[in-house]
Amino acid sequence: MQLISYAFVIFWAVTFSLYYLAPARLQRYILAAASLLFYTAGLRGIPVSLFLTAVTTYGCALFLNGSLAREKEAAAQCADREGRKAVKAVFQRKRRRIQIPYFVFNIGLLAFYKYAVVSLPILDGIFGSHPGFLERVGMPLGISFYTLTAIGYVIDVGRENCSAETDFLRIFLFLAYFPSVTQGPFNRYQGMKEQFDKEHAFSYDRMLRGIQRFVWGAFKKLVIADRIGIFVDRVYGAEPASVPGSLFACATAMYMLQLYADFSGYIDMAAGVSETFDIMLPENFKRPYFARSVAEFWRRWHITLGAWFKDYVMFSFVMSGTGRKINKKCKNKWNGMGRHVVPAAGTMLVWFFTGIWHGRTAGYMLWGVWYGVIMSFSLIMEPWYKNWKSRLHIGEQSRLWALFCMARTWIIVFAADVLIRSSSLSQAGEIFLAFVTRLNIGSLLSSELTSYGLSKYELALLLAALVIWLAVSVIEERGQDVRDFMAGRPAAVRWVCYYGIVLLLLVTGIYGGSYDTAVFLYQSF
Amino acid sequence: MEEKILAILEEHCEEALQYTGDNMMEDGVIDSFTVINLVSDLEDEFDIEIDAKYVVAENFKNKEAIIALVRRLVEE
Repeated sequence: MQLISYAFVIFWAVTFSLYYLAPARLQRYILAAASLLFYTAGLRGIPVSLFLTAVTTYGCALFLNGSLAREKEAAAQCADREGRKAVKAVFQRKRRRIQIPYFVFNIGLLAFYKYAVVSLPILDGIFGSHPGFLERVGMPLGISFYTLTAIGYVIDVGRENCSAETDFLRIFLFLAYFPSVTQGPFNRYQGMKEQFDKEHAFSYDRMLRGIQRFVWGAFKKLVIADRIGIFVDRVYGAEPASVPGSLFACATAMYMLQLYADFSGYIDMAAGVSETFDIMLPENFKRPYFARSVAEFWRRWHITLGAWFKDYVMFSFVMSGTGRKINKKCKNKWNGMGRHVVPAAGTMLVWFFTGIWHGRTAGYMLWGVWYGVIMSFSLIMEPWYKNWKSRLHIGEQSRLWALFCMARTWIIVFAADVLIRSSSLSQAGEIFLAFVTRLNIGSLLSSELTSYGLSKYELALLLAALVIWLAVSVIEERGQDVRDFMAGRPAAVRWVCYYGIVLLLLVTGIYGGSYDTAVFLYQSF
Repeated sequence: MEEKILAILEEHCEEALQYTGDNMMEDGVIDSFTVINLVSDLEDEFDIEIDAKYVVAENFKNKEAIIALVRRLVEE
């Protein structure tokens, strides 16, 4: 079941009605049942993997909690610090004996579905190909998302950042919560538990705000992302030698916007649906194209994924015994530059995993390495960079400097997006070559631009939608919630805007036909 | 102790000393690289071990939170 479908709207309305009509103590049961129904309907099979992850997560977290409690009791018997350290080491070893198989099992499950597609013909041979293996067990929807969410929860319990949940239903709901199960955001248990346990009373204003955010997300998806997708698919689908470099550049720039509109559109829709149930999801985007550096870009883009990798991979590596040993050895070497070795290695590790999490192609791996190298390089170069800036008397507040920094970030993201949008590394290579050898800027002003699926009318419409999106982004960048901003306008202006967006969505959204509106780009991750 | 912590903090991130908000990491004042180097220097200076479980936004939200964290670990 996709968020943009009649079936989902009916499902949402029924769940919403039951949620507020039923006694408040039953609300989380209704959400759990709805999540199971949503997941099973989307899967068209039995959600075996989801249940396996939920059960192992539940069990592992309970074991960790118990072990931590026993460790505290044993440590309390020790008189000195050394004794407490020894007790800690013993219990840590015991916990690792459970934690490591848990991680291996769940990451293995994710890797199996995500990367072991080549083995499917063998499995089909065993299970019979009608129906094949995947049809029998069901391709786990959102496995990349709920697996990392579950692992994060277990690490948090192990780090005592939260207590293990004793009610299995809450764990299942946390992992399978239907607005976020397929494409995130990555929720943290501490924040979600409190909200699931609260009794929620109906609020007309909240319902309206949720619907507004849902419609805004649908606008970004249907009017902007899917329209851009027509052009990008045609350009990237053409024989590279027949397309001038400027058109590839234009298509890549459009792809940057498509990916953003598509993914942030989904997140807006999911957050809007969740808001109607009075459950707030964490923000996943903060206008990333206003970022002045790549590091800032990734603090604004897919925020919860970045935070996940930082907290659970980067810090786990850096604070591990190995990370500490390397740091101690290198820290004071090479004129103080050695202190960058471990953070840079951690960054490369994080970006390598971020790359393979997104996809199994060489393009994604190179994409991860590209960002890792840029981030590590900027970390090492920072002292020189600050020095140059001060010598050139460049002020942080200068608008021209801000624009330069933003443009520099766009170029880095642009290059990375060529790698992931191309069907192969050789196509990416041909496209980079086209930028240099046959840019032919004139083709952007000729009729050639309109020969890739979008007419002049469609391009003008897209431009208008992008202007609306930019205006909303500028309001948000100034620290205002656009829904609060609109609420402060005169009623006539407000309703003209609301109806205008809905009308644009209904009349100009890309529905059906040869373009599948149901598929969100990030769903494939 | 407080002076020593502030001196280490100043060495890694001067801005952190002037910061008056309550989420230095999210506000981009202090990034993960700075946190890693800061943790390493604090560990050496005070002979403590700052586990990954302590490296959360809450403990690095401002200079006062960092001082409180070090103080807690020294006393443990």
